[in-house]
Amino acid sequence: MTTANPAQSHSSEPSRLQRILLRQETILFVILVIGVLLLSMQSDKFLTIENLLNQGRLAAEIALIALPMTLIIITGGIDLSVGSIMGLVAIMLGVAWFNWGLPLELAIVVALLIGTACGLFNGLFITRVGLPPLITTLATLALFRGLAEGIAQARSVRGYPEWFYILGQKNFLGDLTSIPNQLLIVVLSIIAIGAALAWTPFGRSLYAIGNNETGARFSGLPVQRNKLIIYTLSGFMSGLAAWVYVSRVSTTRSDMGNGIELTAITAVVVGGTSIFGGSGTIVGTVLGLALIQLMKNGLALSGAKGDSTTIVVGVILIGAVLLNQFIQNPPARLKRLLPGQQ
Amino acid sequence: MTALLELEGISKQFPGVRALEDVSFSVAAGEIHALVGENGAGKSTLIKVISGVHKPDTGTIRIEGQEVTFDSPHSAQAAGMATMYQELSLYPELSVAENIFMGHAPRREVGRIGVVDWGTMNERAREILASLNIHDMDVQRKVGTLNVGNRQRVEIAKALSINARVLIMDEPTAALTESDVERLFGIVRLLKERGVAVIYISHRLQEVFELADRVTVLRDGHFVGSKPVAEVSEGELIRMMVGRTITELFPKLPSEVRGDVLEVRNLTRKPTTRDVSFTVRGGEIVGMAGLVGSGRSETAQLVFGILAPDSGEILIEGQRVDIRSPGQAMKLGIAYVPEDRGTQGLVREMRIRENISMAILGSLTRLGVVDKSAERRVGADMIGQLNIIATSGEQTVNKLSGGNQQKVVVGKWLASKPKLLIVDEPTRGVDVGAKAEIHRLMSELAQQGLGILMISSELPEVLGMSDRILVMRQGRLVAEFSRAEADQHNVGSAMMSDQVVVADTPAATPVAGGAA
Amino acid sequence: MSAATPAQATSQGNRLLGTARRMLGTQEGLLLVLLVALFLGVGLYNNQFLAWNNVSDLFNVNAYIAVAAIGMSMVIITGNIDISVGAAIGVLVTLSGYVALGLADAGLPPILVNVAAWVVPVLGGMLIGAINGFFVAYLKIPAIVVTLGMFSILKGGLILVAGGNTLYNLPEGYSIAMEDFLGIPVPVWVMIVLTGVAFLWMRYSRTGRSQYAVGGNAEAARLSGLDTRRILMTTFILSGLFAGIASVMYATQYQTIQAVVTPGLELQVITASVVGGVSILGGVGTVIGSTLAAILIRFIGSALVFVNISPFWVKAILGILILVTVLSDVVRRRRQERQ
Repeated sequence: MTTANPAQSHSSEPSRLQRILLRQETILFVILVIGVLLLSMQSDKFLTIENLLNQGRLAAEIALIALPMTLIIITGGIDLSVGSIMGLVAIMLGVAWFNWGLPLELAIVVALLIGTACGLFNGLFITRVGLPPLITTLATLALFRGLAEGIAQARSVRGYPEWFYILGQKNFLGDLTSIPNQLLIVVLSIIAIGAALAWTPFGRSLYAIGNNETGARFSGLPVQRNKLIIYTLSGFMSGLAAWVYVSRVSTTRSDMGNGIELTAITAVVVGGTSIFGGSGTIVGTVLGLALIQLMKNGLALSGAKGDSTTIVVGVILIGAVLLNQFIQNPPARLKRLLPGQQ
Repeated sequence: MTALLELEGISKQFPGVRALEDVSFSVAAGEIHALVGENGAGKSTLIKVISGVHKPDTGTIRIEGQEVTFDSPHSAQAAGMATMYQELSLYPELSVAENIFMGHAPRREVGRIGVVDWGTMNERAREILASLNIHDMDVQRKVGTLNVGNRQRVEIAKALSINARVLIMDEPTAALTESDVERLFGIVRLLKERGVAVIYISHRLQEVFELADRVTVLRDGHFVGSKPVAEVSEGELIRMMVGRTITELFPKLPSEVRGDVLEVRNLTRKPTTRDVSFTVRGGEIVGMAGLVGSGRSETAQLVFGILAPDSGEILIEGQRVDIRSPGQAMKLGIAYVPEDRGTQGLVREMRIRENISMAILGSLTRLGVVDKSAERRVGADMIGQLNIIATSGEQTVNKLSGGNQQKVVVGKWLASKPKLLIVDEPTRGVDVGAKAEIHRLMSELAQQGLGILMISSELPEVLGMSDRILVMRQGRLVAEFSRAEADQHNVGSAMMSDQVVVADTPAATPVAGGAA
Repeated sequence: MSAATPAQATSQGNRLLGTARRMLGTQEGLLLVLLVALFLGVGLYNNQFLAWNNVSDLFNVNAYIAVAAIGMSMVIITGNIDISVGAAIGVLVTLSGYVALGLADAGLPPILVNVAAWVVPVLGGMLIGAINGFFVAYLKIPAIVVTLGMFSILKGGLILVAGGNTLYNLPEGYSIAMEDFLGIPVPVWVMIVLTGVAFLWMRYSRTGRSQYAVGGNAEAARLSGLDTRRILMTTFILSGLFAGIASVMYATQYQTIQAVVTPGLELQVITASVVGGVSILGGVGTVIGSTLAAILIRFIGSALVFVNISPFWVKAILGILILVTVLSDVVRRRRQERQ
């Protein structure tokens, strides 16, 4: 078996442009553009700044959760407990303020700390004990939701002070702009996490862990520490999402966040992150989020019942994974056409 | 002897690679036939053709003169071809008997329904094991509770259960203890008596001479020659494998020995490391010999922070240190090129430059961001320095040959500018050409003042490269030799001696007696 | 087999003791002990717990979960998982109701109506299972993703089509789960019989054993010549079959049917399997364990009420149970590897 020799390679090294064109993110972008065009033809209420920004407001919680989920899936893991953490934090926010009588600012901090602690709990079981992420977060999905239900006893908390709703319901600088407040947090998070993933050693190590965790460890990368960080971050962001959500819907209940893990995972996978780990980008996840929100908006505009949009999310998820599979392992005949498959 | 299995004119091509080119090969019943060749010579492709995993592009396969084609591993098995790969194909949660008979369990009728007959299965399993002289295995035990040697025996029993006529063994002794190796040889000879043809692949030429009747050499996908073992010498075999006479196999350059780089005192971690003490000085190559399972890799991993010691001290340049992670070890100037480069040494799906920079990412970071151009420079540097054959630093590592992949691992660790370099089986699975390069590199590094701890299971390599030789046996350091006084005899017997082990300081002369 | 000599008798006795000891060391044995302990413990604390009504309830209420867990156990043993089972049951329950009402309106004789309403969901379940199985076995998509997608398709689909409707005026004789047979509720019979049959099938049939092989070492299974894809497909179809039967058991429990997906149902089914000793890593476990665990879950839920702890804490306890079981499984495997 002869080693690779530049003079002998069968296909020419694909150009940079070719490589960019055939990535999942690009395909996604094209689909997104087509989707936008279709929807704006179907309803003139769609392509307005007002509607688009409002969609952003609605998608904020999912976006916050999908960002750390991207990091986790890149390392080959998964976090099914994000929705439950959201529910628990929502309840604890209400309990800390209403039942314990803490000033609301402090209650918010306590709630976020609890979310972070939940993430840390997951992370410790996964890193120190070595339990598989799937089953760990499945168990904590039950545990955290159970705690939320137990603490709430089917009651809910309402009547927060006016200033509390500014985050979720009002715009930046009051009436001066029409940018929803939570979008700022979302954009900041996207930039911070996206930059960390793409440019820092931390981000690089996540890809290494996803491809070969043992190799990464033997190379001196802080595998355990970084895994702990991403699960803890996931807990924190779920808590943040809970805060934004409660602020938006003005109330606190224990069933909040139910099913959000599905949408978050779908956004990540649609965005080109392989479910097996080792690849993926934040840009892709953002595009995936946009596509999903687009679908939901389209369905709402054509009169479909609220929860029925989950059917579309499910179809998109399976479709996206199939597409990703096809790109990574194309059938033999297509191999010569696609770059990077020599 | 008439041929049992004959391959004629076999060719197999994969995209971009000619794995086998017009190879002919035959083996007779009751013959132990060794298959040797460098990495990439085509051995594993050949056995995959025999076991039905790959279909040859051209050529014929004949069993007892009858032409056959295998559509699948299953049809090859049905024809009596059994293969024992290095990664054993067993089910840890199922019993020994069920493992042996999986896919063809004995059945009986209950009414008109066919059900698995557990009783008969257990009985037959015991019979098969007995025929291999194995009487102490509980066939109802879960295979996962057995050690490697026993699991291998279950694999062999599996082959017998399908009345294998040809058993292929791929590097069977790589992970065995010495006593298990002896038992394995005994079983192979028993199989020979039963008329089973055994195709035995190994990099350890001394095993070939001890066990095999005939040996076939492949090189670059071509058949080079097939000879009775009695009629060929080791040098001749190597020449056939490599195509040239290797005179400069171990180019050891002289170097000046400096101060202590590493000192290990009473290091213990049961059961693999017991009260081990030694030093490595700058400028010297310390070879660590021992049988598989003697605890050398684990001891090295204690120094590198992968494992934590129960007790003992580690000193780097005279300072006592407490190493808890590889990251910490690196900061202290320790580098470890691991045994298993595929899983431990590299992230094969990533590029060469990304692998080379992996240990030093911190130093390539400016304001929290990785400096890609600096990274590319380091990559190009290493590729040049180590003569890595690749299209560029952007190429993915898994496209490289074994020798070049090993060089990438070495490059990664050289980039960290270590004071102590620990190499674990530096030339395992590396073709002879790259072997010589790696040896020369190690010599040069020692010249430059690096302290090198070289763990190796190849005695010639240990003897040829080391300034001092440490011997480990069953977790203890049993002997130490200088380059001048060491030879195959005394090092070998220190490795295998049955005598009581020296408990305190390593002796300058080996423990007396024992098997030679 | 007659015990002729005292020596033989003692050795038989020893073998029995050995078997007993080995059985107690299993998860199934542990569950049995827990069930008895809980029963006696809570019963002593509050003897209303031991009333026949309640005891019947203890075995009856979760019978359908135990049946669904039979299929789930098979799936998990092959190394996969099925998150869609809760939504599948919701859809199939509704399907059963609509078939019953539709055929009754069409004027068919009640016996035909009822049998159709019981059989169609089972077939529907098998169809869902086949679709899941196709994606996992032939398109090689991880089961977590396929069944997550299927879950939302089924749930969304149900809302779209029947959104929260209540079906009533179900035909005479439809609600068979409310009946008793020889003093024991029909669902309990179904649970026991199906568990027994499934256990025997998994222990003595070729396909049953190959499920363990595929889950234990998929690559080895393939090399042994086992048709991995067909085995996985069969497993998912069987899982759908049991989900279908479970849905009929659930639908025929009351006089009305709610067209909703019970939230957290899949979690209960998975918990039953995992706590029952079916390791999430695949290759090990029995349906006897999952059935015992399903009963235990009901025991715990009921016990909470009788010792005055709010039943809202059930889910938290389930979560802890899963964690503890998985922890001990991982610890056991690690100790095994150390040899």
